[in-house]
Amino acid sequence: MTGMKTFLMPDRRRFLKTAGAAITASLATPYVVRAQEKILYVNTWGGPWEAAAKTHLIDPFTAETGIQVKTVSPVSFAKLAQQVKTGTYEFDVTTLGGGELVRANQAGIIEELREPYKGGLFQNGVASHAFATVMAWRTDKYKETPKTWADFWNVEKFPGGRSLQRYASRVIPIALLADGVAVKDLYPLDVDRAFKSLDRIKKHVRVWWTAGAQSTQVLRDGEIDMIGIWHGRYFEAEKAGAPVAMTWNQGEIERAYWVVAKKTPNLENARRFVEFATSAKPLADFSKAADYGALNPASNEFVAAADAKRMPTSPDNYKLTFEQDMVNFGIDPAELAERFEEWVAS
Amino acid sequence: MGVSLSKLTEKTDIWPWLLLAPLGVYMLIFFVVPLADVAIMSFVEPKVSFANYQKVLTGALYQRVFLNTFLTAAFVTLCCLAVGYPLAYLMAHSKPRTAMLILLLVTMSFWTSFLVRTYAWMVLLGNNGPLIAFLQMIGIEQPPQLLFTRFSSTLAMVHILAPYMIMNIYSVMKKIDPALIRSAESLGAKGWSLFRHVYLPLTAPGIANGSVLVFVICLGFYVTPVLLGSPREQMIAGLIGHQVDEFLAFGLGSAMAMVLLVITLVILTIYHRRFGLDKLWG
Repeated sequence: MTGMKTFLMPDRRRFLKTAGAAITASLATPYVVRAQEKILYVNTWGGPWEAAAKTHLIDPFTAETGIQVKTVSPVSFAKLAQQVKTGTYEFDVTTLGGGELVRANQAGIIEELREPYKGGLFQNGVASHAFATVMAWRTDKYKETPKTWADFWNVEKFPGGRSLQRYASRVIPIALLADGVAVKDLYPLDVDRAFKSLDRIKKHVRVWWTAGAQSTQVLRDGEIDMIGIWHGRYFEAEKAGAPVAMTWNQGEIERAYWVVAKKTPNLENARRFVEFATSAKPLADFSKAADYGALNPASNEFVAAADAKRMPTSPDNYKLTFEQDMVNFGIDPAELAERFEEWVAS
Repeated sequence: MGVSLSKLTEKTDIWPWLLLAPLGVYMLIFFVVPLADVAIMSFVEPKVSFANYQKVLTGALYQRVFLNTFLTAAFVTLCCLAVGYPLAYLMAHSKPRTAMLILLLVTMSFWTSFLVRTYAWMVLLGNNGPLIAFLQMIGIEQPPQLLFTRFSSTLAMVHILAPYMIMNIYSVMKKIDPALIRSAESLGAKGWSLFRHVYLPLTAPGIANGSVLVFVICLGFYVTPVLLGSPREQMIAGLIGHQVDEFLAFGLGSAMAMVLLVITLVILTIYHRRFGLDKLWG
């Protein structure tokens, strides 16, 4: 079946699966069988993410195991679900965020995995790397340094355009912090209070960004003056020479987990890859190259002090941040998203 | 006679059908079957019920977004007409070289990827863009916000869709017999009256064709309004993508797609009754 992966595009249907199985069976040669044993399809985000993964995870993995890796992008949660439904696999492993992971595990579309390092397994996903939604601003606009999300909400002291991600489960905790809720009381989320808090900032939010590149662009070009942005995307704006600054304080950390598609034909290769990708050295190198923070504590010894400053998981930064808690979330994320979209549109 | 003629053609008629067969099979596998799958999913995901349709048809969010989608499409169509009609007239009635030049400009913009055109508008209308700089230069200290408004998204969508309107109207205008205009003039029609009673009715098929194409294509837009528009502008296509990709709500997404499809078909049917769908392609 692996041969079909490259040919069948997103909408693989049941009848195609049957037809595909028949064709592959009739064409099957010993060579094809051998190829199946030594191949793995990895779902990536493409672009710089894939470049970093290729250099630090995929190539060393192939060198060590002899398993050929092909990449498929972009990451699609919907595709992961469809693969299991149709039985036609375009990729064997992918990464998911915490909220998606909980949903994927409930839906039974991912395989059970072993714990590769202590505390590394959560809902059948292996914690790999983390990113943070942090507060960043234009230094040409503000003389004083904003410190908290409450400052972000304070348009009298810090007048100017704002931007946040159009993504309910990331924005709601931030809105609560801005309203004075302490991090320890954040979960389960008080959704009504969060929307009241959001009402106050709404008319100042000029852009609800939806794509990472878009967030870098509006900050870099000064379309807005203050933004809630992924830390990696912030560094891109900084690297481009824009007059910008950020704080790790009250940064919202989210974890990315490697998962294996349920019933994939390359199950053993997939498991080996996940263990390799979350082992100390490869993960440290990948996290550094892709501007993430490594979640395997053993990776820390492979990260230089200068690089650690750019990582949300380094001890100095981590203590300023807080983590998303998808288990005690307090509301169904889909329901929350619907309410949020309705709120944005009204 | 009718009977014998149809008998005569019956035998030879098999050839066109045979030639069409590969296309028919292709359409069946890659269009009809997936579409049927979407239709089925809208009723059976996550369980067999009308719940998805109930949500789409009665939920405040979905009603609002559907309404916004259709109003946006209608407004963009009107703007395309307002811009496209004079331009098509200019193309149809100026010297060949001028007409050629305009045609070239219109098609060149048509061939440029719509994403590139969307980003180009971001640069032009941005806070540090040339338009704002110009406004400041001529003494407007607090220039209005141009980007991320309904104005910017409408402007970009009109820019992207206007070629469909222009080409449709142009092809109709080109075919108008000049003798008709001359005879109208000789019968005393002048200026506005000539346009209102002779020229406009003659170009009506082009207007109708262009409008339907622009309207229907615009219904499926979402990248442009999301990137350029105000936060309130959500198109139905964006909401469908959101539901499917983030929440695996295949049933709900399918139900929205089916409602959009049915409304679009109703519009096309009304159009067909009035003008004939076959005329859409000239």
